[in-house]
Amino acid sequence: MIGGWMRHHKHALGAALHRLRIQAFATLLTALAMGVAISLPSGLYLGLSNLSRVAGELPAQPEISLFLDAGASAEQKQAIAARLKQPDIAQARFVPKDEALATLSASQDLADITAGLTENPLPDAWIVRPQATSRDALVHISDSLRKLPGIAEIHLDSQWAERLQAALAIGRTGVWLLAGLFAIALIAISGNAIRAQVLARRDEILVSQLIGATDRHIRRPFLYLGALQGLFGGLAAGGVLAVAGILLREPVEHLAVLYGSTFHLLPPDGAEIAVVLGLTTLFGWLGAWLSVTRSLHQVEAAR
Amino acid sequence: MISFSQVTKRYPGGHEALSGVSLAIEQGELVFLTGHSGAGKSTLLKLIAAIERPTSGVVSVSGQNVSRLSRRAVPYLRRNIGLVFQDHKLLFDRSVIDNVVLPLDIAGFDRRESLKRARAVIDKVGLLNREKANPVSLSGGEQQRLCIARALVSRPALLLADEPTGNLDAGYAADIMAMFRDFHQVGTTLVIATHDERAITALGGRTLHLDHGRIDEGAA
Repeated sequence: MIGGWMRHHKHALGAALHRLRIQAFATLLTALAMGVAISLPSGLYLGLSNLSRVAGELPAQPEISLFLDAGASAEQKQAIAARLKQPDIAQARFVPKDEALATLSASQDLADITAGLTENPLPDAWIVRPQATSRDALVHISDSLRKLPGIAEIHLDSQWAERLQAALAIGRTGVWLLAGLFAIALIAISGNAIRAQVLARRDEILVSQLIGATDRHIRRPFLYLGALQGLFGGLAAGGVLAVAGILLREPVEHLAVLYGSTFHLLPPDGAEIAVVLGLTTLFGWLGAWLSVTRSLHQVEAAR
Repeated sequence: MISFSQVTKRYPGGHEALSGVSLAIEQGELVFLTGHSGAGKSTLLKLIAAIERPTSGVVSVSGQNVSRLSRRAVPYLRRNIGLVFQDHKLLFDRSVIDNVVLPLDIAGFDRRESLKRARAVIDKVGLLNREKANPVSLSGGEQQRLCIARALVSRPALLLADEPTGNLDAGYAADIMAMFRDFHQVGTTLVIATHDERAITALGGRTLHLDHGRIDEGAA
């Protein structure tokens, strides 16, 4: 029983591969159509994950700057330090005023100004990164910190980070939207290719039905055909993206250098490639299933 | 083995191919279906193999009610029936032996065993030296023998033949009929729709005469 089942599958896979080989040109065209379709959402996904990496290298997480009162007492400073060790604070870094001045002096445009100062006008400061990232939680934390004695001013530096995160979120939604659309396109391309195959093999299907082939048996080679087409489409998309990556690498690195960054494009990792190939195979199969099921009924009705 | 009880088949459009047909065919019988074109011979064969469903009445084959058979069960019924068609229904994209082996592939037999059985059947119909040929290159009579080989390779208990000698000249037709007699002698039930009066007298057996969709049973 199992032997027969294995034989059926081996036979169907062999038949599908044979068909793809003898119709190499049609196979290639379908794979290309699929590849171009898939490369759009996967390319956008890759672009975004590279962009997120840029955003991740910058202090993309919202920060709160605490500026201490120049006249704050040692106990007040200790109390503030103790408050910042609590679990709602992910990270807190003390920036003494001397260090702040040194940093300022290091920056060329301001060196002249700082050189003219007789005493350090800068306050001691804490750079705090809270655990929470939502706007409301940040406001809440900064309000509670503001009430601590010895704090002169609080600056919630989250706006630009929020904007960037919001833009990336739109991008991610866009990727899913595009992926959904192109999944439908993939099903359509596969379904259409398989429909042509079913019509070309009408006689074989009719004869097979007359001599006792089950629908499942008739469907099987076409399903393999669809799945393989999908897989080839996924591989073609990989090819398209690889070419795009090679073409883009130099200009992107050039731009990064202009920004003083060592950023370079990263290719997708193995798991991402596996997921894309798996999905294209699945959608190729699905398109074939829809098409062959429908065509089988048509072939039968036309008998 | 086969029984029809008050079977009527009306095609869409209103043409009534069979009207209230009742008949019984025993296991191992050789039955000829005769009648003018359009008398309902083909329809009767199609009802046995569940290619068509009756409009009313009951068709049963080996105790199975074929008229109520589910779509999923039909292939398993057909695996026990050998079908021989007037137009052969061969596949021209593969060799003689691949045509014959098709029913065994569909039933999931081991490939090597299938080829052995196919070769034996091809030998029986006298095409062994043509097994690698494309069926296109065969004569009409050879194509019909190939069709018979395909029908027999799964050793069905029942063979249905629709005008098996319809397109053949007398010599070929006699060959084919002689072959059918051999199968009958080893116990296969045969139902043959034919115009070929000579064949009927040569082989003997029972004759069912169809006239405008009604049975008119006469002695052979």
